[in-house]
Amino acid sequence: MNAFKYIVPVLAAVSLVSCKKFLEVEPVDSVSDGQTIVDKTSAETATRGLYRALSADGYYGVTFQSIGYLSGDNVQWTGSQSIIQQFISHNVRADNANIASAWSAIYTTINRANHIIAKVPNVTDPLFTQTLRNQLTGEAYFVRALAYFDLARTWGGVQLALTPTNSASDKTGIQRSSLAETYAQVLSDLTAAEPLLPETTNRVRATKKTVWALRARYHLYQKEYALAEAYATKLLGDAASYQLVKPYSAFFANNVVNTQESIFELSYSSTYTNGHRNQWQPPANNGTRQWAPSDAFLTLVNDASIGGNRSALVAKTSQGLWYGNLYYRSPATDPAYVLRIAEQYLIRAEARANQPGKLTEALADLNAVRSRAGLANSTAATQNDVLLAIENERRIEFAFEPHRWFDLVRTDRAGTVLGVNDKNKWVLPVPANEVLIDGSLEQNFSY
Amino acid sequence: MTKAVSVWLLPALLMPYIVFSQENPAKNTPAPTVKTGTDNIILSGRVIDDKTKAPLPGATIHIKGTTHEVAADEKGAFKFVTGQRLPSVFVVTNVGYQPREITISQATDIVITLHETNSQLNDVVVVGYGTQQRKNLISSISKVNAAEVKELPVAGVDAQLQGKASGVQINSNTGVPGDGVFIRVRGATSINASNDPLYVVDGVFINNTSLQTVNTGGRATSPIADINPADIESIEVLKDANATAIYGARGANGVVIITTKRGNYNAAPKVNIKAATGWAKAAELWKLTTGPEHAELVNEFYANSYQDALTANDAAGITKYKYLPFRALTDNPTATPAPRGLPQDQNTYDRLNKLFRTARLSDYDISLQGGSKATKYYLGAGYTSQEANIKPIDFNRASFKLNLDQRVNEKIQVGVSNSFYRTYRNQARSGDGPAGGLLQSALHTPTYLPETNADGTPARWAGFDNLDVLINNYDVNTISLRYIGNIYADAEIIPDLKFRTSFSVDYNHYNESEYWNNQTQLGAAPTNGLATSIQTQNTTWINEQTLSYRKNLFGGHTFGILVGNSVQSNSLRTDSLSGSGFPNNSFRSIASAANRPSSQKFAKGNLVSFFSRVDYNYSGKYFLEASIRADGSSRFGANNKYGYFPSVGVAWRIREENFLQNVNWLSDLKLRASVGLTGNQNGINNFAALGLWNGGAGYPDVAGSSDQPGTAPQQLGNDDLKWEKTRQSNIGVDVGLFNGAVSVEVNLYSKYTTDALLQLPINAISGFNSYSSNAGEISNKGYEVSIISNNIRKKDFSWTTSFNISGNTNKIEKLPTAVNYYNRDWVRLQEGHPLYSFWLYKQQYVDPETGTAVFEDVTKDGSITVADRQILGSAIPKFFGGITNNLRYKDFDLGVSFTYQYGNKVFNLNRFFGEGGGTRDANRVLLASQLARWQKPGDITDVPRLTAYGNNYTLEQNSRFLEDGSFIKFSALTFGYSLPQRIVSKAHIQNVRLYFIGSNLLWIKKYTGPDPESNVTAVQNVQGLDLGTPPQPRTIQLGINVTL
Repeated sequence: MNAFKYIVPVLAAVSLVSCKKFLEVEPVDSVSDGQTIVDKTSAETATRGLYRALSADGYYGVTFQSIGYLSGDNVQWTGSQSIIQQFISHNVRADNANIASAWSAIYTTINRANHIIAKVPNVTDPLFTQTLRNQLTGEAYFVRALAYFDLARTWGGVQLALTPTNSASDKTGIQRSSLAETYAQVLSDLTAAEPLLPETTNRVRATKKTVWALRARYHLYQKEYALAEAYATKLLGDAASYQLVKPYSAFFANNVVNTQESIFELSYSSTYTNGHRNQWQPPANNGTRQWAPSDAFLTLVNDASIGGNRSALVAKTSQGLWYGNLYYRSPATDPAYVLRIAEQYLIRAEARANQPGKLTEALADLNAVRSRAGLANSTAATQNDVLLAIENERRIEFAFEPHRWFDLVRTDRAGTVLGVNDKNKWVLPVPANEVLIDGSLEQNFSY
Repeated sequence: MTKAVSVWLLPALLMPYIVFSQENPAKNTPAPTVKTGTDNIILSGRVIDDKTKAPLPGATIHIKGTTHEVAADEKGAFKFVTGQRLPSVFVVTNVGYQPREITISQATDIVITLHETNSQLNDVVVVGYGTQQRKNLISSISKVNAAEVKELPVAGVDAQLQGKASGVQINSNTGVPGDGVFIRVRGATSINASNDPLYVVDGVFINNTSLQTVNTGGRATSPIADINPADIESIEVLKDANATAIYGARGANGVVIITTKRGNYNAAPKVNIKAATGWAKAAELWKLTTGPEHAELVNEFYANSYQDALTANDAAGITKYKYLPFRALTDNPTATPAPRGLPQDQNTYDRLNKLFRTARLSDYDISLQGGSKATKYYLGAGYTSQEANIKPIDFNRASFKLNLDQRVNEKIQVGVSNSFYRTYRNQARSGDGPAGGLLQSALHTPTYLPETNADGTPARWAGFDNLDVLINNYDVNTISLRYIGNIYADAEIIPDLKFRTSFSVDYNHYNESEYWNNQTQLGAAPTNGLATSIQTQNTTWINEQTLSYRKNLFGGHTFGILVGNSVQSNSLRTDSLSGSGFPNNSFRSIASAANRPSSQKFAKGNLVSFFSRVDYNYSGKYFLEASIRADGSSRFGANNKYGYFPSVGVAWRIREENFLQNVNWLSDLKLRASVGLTGNQNGINNFAALGLWNGGAGYPDVAGSSDQPGTAPQQLGNDDLKWEKTRQSNIGVDVGLFNGAVSVEVNLYSKYTTDALLQLPINAISGFNSYSSNAGEISNKGYEVSIISNNIRKKDFSWTTSFNISGNTNKIEKLPTAVNYYNRDWVRLQEGHPLYSFWLYKQQYVDPETGTAVFEDVTKDGSITVADRQILGSAIPKFFGGITNNLRYKDFDLGVSFTYQYGNKVFNLNRFFGEGGGTRDANRVLLASQLARWQKPGDITDVPRLTAYGNNYTLEQNSRFLEDGSFIKFSALTFGYSLPQRIVSKAHIQNVRLYFIGSNLLWIKKYTGPDPESNVTAVQNVQGLDLGTPPQPRTIQLGINVTL
């Protein structure tokens, strides 16, 4: 029994050690956030994760896109969630769940970009070439620019988060920047991205050309028409890469992806599906038809002299229900269209129409888009007529893409066209919960 | 690891070594009986009731100072051979009778009379790691007689407890057998960790978190439904800290201890056979508008909206509402909306009665129990089948049970408990979500819409599936195979010092499969068939050692101590496969599918614990008990691995004091008080404390390529994450009156939870929505009263009434930011309000002049904005309980049980959708209650004028749909007849009982839906949302019980 004197402490010591180890259990399907971007491979995987955030349901998957078109005049609500109606009737409340999910999806994307921007340049890995390092960093800058651009045009000036979040208290006490400061951040990121990216054509990832396309749109929003024209021209001049495909439906119908129409589209697969079709397709096609083309839009798009072959955007069930058919695939692999060459034509048309003496050139760009839709040339003659013709063309051309609302707001036409005379309503409310959680975040006026 | 733990650890580590060192000498030596050299003699006699003189079968006779023990047979007779010299002392015990110690000096014709105790004072109550007599109890523990509730036709024993235990609130949620129930012991203490009690079956901490992963519309299955109630001997619910602190980090929500049946030593084999069959049917369904009524309402909506569009000069509205949809087919046939025919020409299609059915119930159990001198056994097998009251949902369970105990020698006993269960569920969806939803299809489809298209194909409306297609093609089912087992060894090392070691396993293989053929919405073209197959394996193993010592010291001092340790590991692994694109409906194997995504999940959590309890009492008058448990968990942050949970309790049994000796009407009076700390870690993710990135964020590198692997931030870490702690104090009084004919137990308690585990929302600009933290504080204060009264107790007639009432006030004392739950944020957690609170716009009235709904403008700013939403009630009742009467007259028995609940709110989501005022037009049913809408000036109603404009029907979170969920339910009526002994004994049968049970026979309620207990979702923190689930059925059953 004397042996116990020695055995017991030893056993106790062994048990204590194994006990500590026993209480340290590591997951097998995740890694600690201390070891995330450490070499070439992990830098690449993090960048892919960034695009997956950009294409998430809350962002370019469904919700953010829907905010852009539901707030216009092409879509009616036909489902069960009446928060959709709030966009259509321009009476969005701060507790609308869709604005909260879009807001959070966009900032999730920004955080992923921030991780790449902060970490990729410092990774030590002999296999990691400077070219690839630059490319990945440039892509993150581009995505962040796009994210702030979308925030700015939806909510106005927002809080700028420019560093990766490592703890829960990292992003406290940040005040909202002004609209000008937010757009300045967009430009700064685009400027940073451009030299880092290769001048190649990659329709699912950002390249120098993607930066140019977004810059064209950015300058149009800023009413910097000469710059908008110049950047649009860079793409329109690259006919080898970008073409208006004919007919209109050729850029989306028959399960095509990455057509020459696309400057930037987001890729989905049977693993990562796009929730968008579910909102548009009728029950007969296994969707919910949460919303559908409005009567007014149906009249326009089905008018051969206005919609032309763009009537392929809508279809009708055997029960007579009209539905939007831009997103229709199964499995739901419809790409999300972010930047199309048609937009560059209409950007340049608008930029030219706003500059003295370029009406004819403007009309030529507009007619390129009309011709692809199977329409005769526009008969607009005055500057005002041309601008209105472009506005109406954009309404049909981008009916189910996030443009209509933003277009009418940036051209000061949301009052005249949509009857939203209260300019305070030209930005959406900041999600009520965000205001509640973050003491530094001010709500937009009148919400 | 801190010093304090080491103090606990050392004795625990020593235990195995002590045991073996002590055990050896005893192994081959015969029992040291008090043999005196006399020859063996035969003792025989009978045990009878002192009043009725009826034999007491099953009474045990034990010779004091030995291990020799026999049980009386069905005639109360006993006989045994002993080497004892007369006179010797017998200890005679029988359940429900006062134990007696008598000195026997004759060998034959011994007649032992026992006195029946009405009170439960001598009841043995199972406590954590031991048992106690109720009269010595300091803790607050509800004991439920399993026999009283086991026949109720709900699948799980948890649901059977409704109204039976004070302080335990139970709601059934749905009429789907085997679905999870809402159970709260003394209120809800947590926001993101679990609020369910801990379940311990024969010493095994079993899993009670649903393993379900398939979507059934929000609900989740109950793992407790795996257990066959027929095998259960007793159920104890441990409520106060003195009882639960020994379970440390898992005790805060109360502990349900389930003890299964075991055999008796020296007992003849006894066979029990039960067979029952029954029927279940919904007591009430929803009242819907007819086709013509629906059409009238929608036309009215269009006409009013058109007027309002003109007033608002809204061009889009003027176009949209210009034509009534229900107009003659020839009237403007090309205008939108297209004409659907006049209202009076509409048909009405009754889908509800196609879906609801009279369901069949059946239940068969057989068991064998008994024992020899050194072995006792219980063998049980059972089969239960329950159809839901809607097609095609059904549940069945087959079970097998073997409990075995073996005396190795006088000091050592080993044993096993084994339970095998196979639970099958047809899990059709009935809840939220359009696709595949049975009640969505049957209840929410407008009644005027036909079931087939003009071409004869099944019609699918409003985003819902076709009901016939669903009923005939549903193929969603789950098979749960579960083993719960335990092996133990008990050893008496020295007199009064007992060692126990055990190893337990809870293993569950959960196999889910879904197949949606191309007739259903989910599987329709272009998906072309959708199948999933998910295998989940949940494994828990536990090793425990306890050492206990109990000694009656000099002069009435009794002292006991228990120390123990426990090591537990749980792992959960899920492998899922899915497939779409099947060649045709004949191919159902995922191997035939064109697309086959797969996925896998793994989680693991470990727990190391040390615990101790000491108790002391002085001559059964003054009681003191203290316990502590230290738990170390892998779940928590690096800075907080260990938690400590102490408790202390005292009791004063005043009845034993001299000054009450002559107060005869008072048979018991005891005051109890306890305070302690318990913890909670269940329900949070095993890796909640870690900052993590995950994979599964793939994306191509170039256009047209397939996805390449991607990574992304998953969650923020928190090294400080720790136990949620609940401090509970309890004071109670036990009163026995009239020789125990009436016993009353009253408890007052206060629970205060700090460091509540919370997914605390953080500002989205961080890139995250929430992170795991200890942020909230919650209080629960309440009372419990239970009364058991033996009103009449005669030989041929007895009548017992038991009644309980409990009330609990729940309040979130601290919460950094309010948190909303469920889509549309119906439910909100907010400081100063209870959990399960509804966050709504308050509709004050409908203006009789204009028909406009007037909402309370809390901010007085002239418009109704989010700031005007308020918390307008909670799903927590003010009080609840039950009352049961049991009567017996000769061979007849009758049981009548009611349960009740008062003051809880239910948000009637079915009504929310069904009273949409026509805004959803052809996309939703209209309930008959919509007909009460405002139509003309002077109408007094709370259903506003039908229009698309204003807030009448667009402000969704309308308090109009928040209803009073109070109810009194006639929960059970049992009527039984036992065949007279003189008949059955001729057939050598001990007992035959025929019985009838009716359940949920009557509801008294204000609630306008069929079942105020309904809840659509398993989402934590959401209760009382009624949408698309079938009500609990009214059932009747006939059965027979035979004992051989």
